[in-house]
Amino acid sequence: MSRVAPARRRAGVAPRVALLLAWFAVPLVPLLLWAAADRWSYPAVLPTDWGTTGWRQALDQGALPALGRSVLLGLAVAALATPAGAMAGRALALHRVPARRVVEALLLAPVAVPPFAVVMGLTTLALRLAIPAGAGLVVVLAVSAVPYTVFVMRAAYAGHDVGMEEEARTLGAGPRAVLLRVHLPLLAPALATAAFLAFLVGWSDYVVTLVVGGGRLVTLPMLVGALSSATGNDAVVAAVSLTAVLPPLALLVATALLARRGAR
Amino acid sequence: MPARRSRALLLLLPAVLPTAAVLGVALTVAVLQSTGLVPVVGEPEPSLAAYRELAGGRALLDGLRVSLGVAAASTALALAVGLGTALLARTTRLGGRLLRAAAAATVPVPHLVGAAAVGLLLADSGLVARTLSVAPGEFPPLVAGPWWAAVVAEYAWKESAFVALVVLAALAAGERELDETAATLGAGPWQRLRRVALPLAAPAAVGAGGVTFAYVLGSYDVAWLLGRSSPEPLPVLAYRLFTDVDLARREQALAVAVVTTVLALACLVLTAALLARTTRRAPA
Repeated sequence: MSRVAPARRRAGVAPRVALLLAWFAVPLVPLLLWAAADRWSYPAVLPTDWGTTGWRQALDQGALPALGRSVLLGLAVAALATPAGAMAGRALALHRVPARRVVEALLLAPVAVPPFAVVMGLTTLALRLAIPAGAGLVVVLAVSAVPYTVFVMRAAYAGHDVGMEEEARTLGAGPRAVLLRVHLPLLAPALATAAFLAFLVGWSDYVVTLVVGGGRLVTLPMLVGALSSATGNDAVVAAVSLTAVLPPLALLVATALLARRGAR
Repeated sequence: MPARRSRALLLLLPAVLPTAAVLGVALTVAVLQSTGLVPVVGEPEPSLAAYRELAGGRALLDGLRVSLGVAAASTALALAVGLGTALLARTTRLGGRLLRAAAAATVPVPHLVGAAAVGLLLADSGLVARTLSVAPGEFPPLVAGPWWAAVVAEYAWKESAFVALVVLAALAAGERELDETAATLGAGPWQRLRRVALPLAAPAAVGAGGVTFAYVLGSYDVAWLLGRSSPEPLPVLAYRLFTDVDLARREQALAVAVVTTVLALACLVLTAALLARTTRRAPA
């Protein structure tokens, strides 16, 4: 079925695509330039001296330990929020859930309730109950990630064929084998997407870490915040910022490839 | 089937229990502390002093104005660009793939990093000023200026990608067939946009817009880095009060937190109501 597309209309598409691509790409251009600049005095459009000063300063400022903490935080949040979201998604998609509207609203609520309000309310209590800061941080962020993991997994289970699991059971597979060999492999792409989104919640967080850690728990966003609120740090800000962008971008590409393989 | 029912409950527990506990406890403490029932020091004494003091000063009113203004402007821009991207992406194969990839690539950028990048782009010595070769001091104050331009730009940038991806996901569910049917029946491109694509995109756009508005309203980092120090948006105001050496200010900080939460939740309820209307009106 060919679509009616007059040449005049077609001709207008390319510039508009280019314009929108520029909208998404342009904000990252100064990061790339500054990260490769030793010196970049004002009116010059390109760096005056190229070099790796920004990256060396980033190492001196503790970018590596900050990267490690961010990875750990993201992984911890994903480890909690992904299975919880998958189970809730399965229940919402395949089972009769009592008080469904209430459950759905509750699981969506963390999207709307501001994280700073949650963490300020909890801090007072956590201090009184002497809950360790790290555990509190992970739990608060995992709850923030739950709406995303539930959303992804619910959609995946809605298109999931339970018949495959039943067939495997008829053929003599035990519950463990059904889970590991049929159920999870079929949902691997969705699980990867959900885990990625949950990882990003921990990886990107600023304000919850700020309030819980009181500025002492330095993750990558904390380092970017501290460096970019002072002036004259542009090269090192760019280097640390790229350190905070590139790993999840690589992960995104990997997830997309996995999803494509799963779709085949 | 009672067995299946209890199974559903068991499956829901790991998500529902922590969510209910964290939100319930946090909001209860926030309300109790802002009304003087759980003071940091001294005896508990119920009072609305924190709210009255805030209402008396300009800070809360200014905060409301700035927060709602920034959220409205960012959401409008994000919706316009995001919808435009999604509707354009469905008309071209290569362009669509590129636009999809570009939108997806902005998702993993933390908002604070986006803010740092937009700062390097729009500051008076930023890349835009350099490219236009503006004399120092003549560039408009986009960063930390009276119009919150850089703050709105950052939110619009990140959230337009979110809107585009959500709308594209909604359109993927069967738009192509409806569109082709409409074309076969003789509908022109404009008619197909208005009668097929937009009604299918509308619920997704409304949902994404509501989430964006609530998110921007309650988000701290971008406004803190790229905004001016006064007037302060609600989250920035709350954090300053929260970290004040005067511990009595904490009650006011929690009061601001309660006000912001009520606004964000109201936004979500409004979105749900709007969503119910859009889906009912849309041709299935």
